[in-house]
Amino acid sequence: MASEANFATASIRLENLSKQFKEILAVDDVTLEVEPGTLVCLLGPSGCGKTTTLRMIAGFEDPTSGKVFIGDEDVTEMPPYARPSAMVFQSYALFPHMSVYENVAYGLKARRTPRSEIRTKVREALDLIELEGQDDKSPSQLSGGQQQRVALARALVIRPKVLLFDEPLSNLDAQLRVRMRGELRDVQRRLGITSVYVTHDQEEAFSIADVVAIMNQGRLTQLGSPLDLYRRPADRFVAEFVGLSNVLPAELVGSNDKGADIRVLGQMIHSRLAPTDPSASISVVLRPEAIRIVSGKDSGIPARVRALAYIGPIARYTVAVEKDGTELIIDLSNPSSDEFYEEGTSVQIQLPKEVPALLS
Amino acid sequence: MPEPLTFSDRIRNRRPLLIIAGIQIVLLAFIATRVMDIVIVEDSREVVDGVETITLRRELIGDPLLFALAAVGMALPLSSKNLRREPVMLLTVQLMIVALLIFVLWPVGQIFVEGFEGSGGDKRFSLENYQRLFSRPMVARASRNTVLLGITSATLSTLIGAVVAYTLTLTDIPWKRILRVLVVLTLVSPPFAVSFSFILLFGRRGLITYDLLGIRAWSIYGPDGIIMVQLISNIPLAVLILMGVFSSMDRDLEDAAEDLGAKTFRLLRTITFPLVTPALLTAWLLNFISSISDFGNPMLIGGDFQLLAPQAYIQRVELFDPQLSAALAVLLVIPALFAFALQHWISNRKSYVTVTGGARTGQIRKLSGWFKWPLFSIVLFLGMFNLLLYGSIFVGAAVKAWGFDFSLTLRNVKGLLIAIGELRNSLFVAAVAGVLGGFIGIVLASLVTRRRFAGRGALDFAGTLMYAIPGTVVGIGYIIAFNAAPYLLTGTFFIIIVAFAFRRLPVGLRSGVAAEKQIDPHLEEASLDLGASRPRTFAKVTFPLLRTAFLAGVIYIFIRSMTDLSAAIFLSSARTQLFTVRMFNVMVRGSPSEAAAFAALLIVIIMLALGLLGRLTGKSFVDLFRIT
Repeated sequence: MASEANFATASIRLENLSKQFKEILAVDDVTLEVEPGTLVCLLGPSGCGKTTTLRMIAGFEDPTSGKVFIGDEDVTEMPPYARPSAMVFQSYALFPHMSVYENVAYGLKARRTPRSEIRTKVREALDLIELEGQDDKSPSQLSGGQQQRVALARALVIRPKVLLFDEPLSNLDAQLRVRMRGELRDVQRRLGITSVYVTHDQEEAFSIADVVAIMNQGRLTQLGSPLDLYRRPADRFVAEFVGLSNVLPAELVGSNDKGADIRVLGQMIHSRLAPTDPSASISVVLRPEAIRIVSGKDSGIPARVRALAYIGPIARYTVAVEKDGTELIIDLSNPSSDEFYEEGTSVQIQLPKEVPALLS
Repeated sequence: MPEPLTFSDRIRNRRPLLIIAGIQIVLLAFIATRVMDIVIVEDSREVVDGVETITLRRELIGDPLLFALAAVGMALPLSSKNLRREPVMLLTVQLMIVALLIFVLWPVGQIFVEGFEGSGGDKRFSLENYQRLFSRPMVARASRNTVLLGITSATLSTLIGAVVAYTLTLTDIPWKRILRVLVVLTLVSPPFAVSFSFILLFGRRGLITYDLLGIRAWSIYGPDGIIMVQLISNIPLAVLILMGVFSSMDRDLEDAAEDLGAKTFRLLRTITFPLVTPALLTAWLLNFISSISDFGNPMLIGGDFQLLAPQAYIQRVELFDPQLSAALAVLLVIPALFAFALQHWISNRKSYVTVTGGARTGQIRKLSGWFKWPLFSIVLFLGMFNLLLYGSIFVGAAVKAWGFDFSLTLRNVKGLLIAIGELRNSLFVAAVAGVLGGFIGIVLASLVTRRRFAGRGALDFAGTLMYAIPGTVVGIGYIIAFNAAPYLLTGTFFIIIVAFAFRRLPVGLRSGVAAEKQIDPHLEEASLDLGASRPRTFAKVTFPLLRTAFLAGVIYIFIRSMTDLSAAIFLSSARTQLFTVRMFNVMVRGSPSEAAAFAALLIVIIMLALGLLGRLTGKSFVDLFRIT
């Protein structure tokens, strides 16, 4: 891995990809372009088709229709062993009957690489993942994080044009997960290798990806940078999936090219983007941290505290609006002693004055 | 955008297709020359002016139907896109289909064909045999006897097996470790060795009946004898199946019932029994098949009690009526297939037992002495009885003349030397059949568990079918199917090896499937993903991980082939005499002590094979036979 610069990478293009399993349409007309060198996360709940999409890129599933391109090459009809991709599996899939060295050398041997070259390349790969000197250990003697690194080295050593990750961190404990995703991201950046990363963990996706692709029920719902998705979710599903959200029905008061004014729970809010279809019913996404609890009387919407939980540095309140019982989730960071409301307390809440966009 | 393909690109893309087509044609041609031939026969002969003119004509012999079936079988996987893309996989699937077609479906099908043919070489369809058949009182009697024997034997062995299994897994009786081995001891003996030792102990000059008790009027030969022998032979299977269920049963359920006021008997009736019903049915059906298929025991101890399996043999070999024999085989195979289908259906339904995860399983119950000691005596009696049976064989082999002169001698052991050729044949045949059957089982297992293609279910079915086919029927089917030119296989080692390998394939297949399901499918995918082809993946990843299952399959098939009599007796010939056939003849005609030496040697060989299994895989013989 010394010659990182000449690591040849390629784009990935999925064209109208669909996969039908008996009655279930697992992947529904997905079109996606992954620029060379970028890391795209496929994010969605279990059963949304993200893993099936990844497996079609690797060649483990045949698409019912559509095409897969790696670079300019149509690989749709290619068996997995002929494709220039390498995958890191959720279970790592390290061969239990082979040593660490043999695991990493496996793909090179399959390519009939000369023995001396194999030795150098495997050594380089083990150095890269800081596992030098562990050649003869069996995978079961390694810790979860080490196994994860061996799986990565085994994939990288064959110089794939694209890397595929199938929930690679979900078998690790929480702390290690955070450290490993940093390492994965580092290696991916340094090699500049095009990657597709499947996960159901929103935080993981947002911290690692250049581009996040949200999938739901087989369809690609929204594609964008982590910030885009958080600020301007395309629909209610995305809004709720990319973070705890309050999605509330809104009444359109007026709109022009500078935005729209809406009424929510009796309070006026300005949206920087106007709804595309003014006649449709609209709703608004209010992030828990955007709503405030105020102490002064008659300064907000009357509500009552239903529940309170401390989550690290955040106090998470569940409140019910007095008027119609609508439940809202409110996060207060740095909860200090004067900002403390017990269960059952009556409070006043204030919605944000402005939101980036509306849902229709 | 990809550039438009040039002409040479298109040719290059088509090349794999051309190679596949070429291989297909060569393979088909090979099969064609194996199953069909064109011979030149004399048509007419006339003498004109002293010159004799002989007109010849070409005639097609063999089985065009089999060839057509093979061609269809080969075409089937071609419809799967993912197989078409991978020639090696395609070819493997096709070879499996053709092999199962020729060596499983065809011989079994032949029974039905021959059963419906007219007598005297008339090949046209006829119900004549069945008319002839049913006009004979023997047939009705043998059918009735077979079914009644099957029901009685299966019911008793399952009930006793359930009691024994319950006692050995869930109660606190002493000596459990050794008793667990002793009660299943007869799994590893040639089945008819049990009836032989019964004769030694309870026969006309039996040690117990004649010498100890002085009984003269009663005879072991007949239905009572067969039932007792079958019980001893079949209880172990029921015990193994039910021990598996009892030991995985959730103790909390029983505790809950007890907590609600159910006492021991009510507990058994309302909780324990319903939970084990599917396993009871499975044990019953498998023992039913085993009982009606039994050939060796009735031949030795059946007296004049007529049963289908021995009658099918007698009609063919002793009375030279092959059509009647085939018709009897059909009558035998129908209930066996029915029981097998039922068993398959039961085992595919969800069982109650495996539903809960993380439950407290296999916990010991403290029973009151009123229950404990009677249960213990039953298990102890069974274990001791098995020991006695084995002991009588070894003692019998060491004495001059069982029943008359109990002085020690080496004469019987030396007498084995005359059968050294048969022993060599049997070892050779069983070893090759073991490796062949074990290997096909593993390949087939990885195909049916890991790949999706048209005909996968049929492949699985054909691979398992032989489990239901009685050995007698396999023997007769192979003889009918392979005794005519151009594939004159009767009298060769080849036919015996193939028959043994495919007869025991179901166990190899099932143990392979069970092992495959234990392996993370991502391992094979990782190998493919890293650039290893399918064959390389199988050789480097799949096979090494299935090694234990493979060895278990090989040794199981080896042991079953070493001890097979019902198929062997049809297939072995003067040139390919097998040890069990010789042993059987000695048991029928020779002196008991002489025969005991044969049985003792066979038991020693089996023990050695099991010892080897333990050394290689760490599995005990109980694990080996738990595969059903």
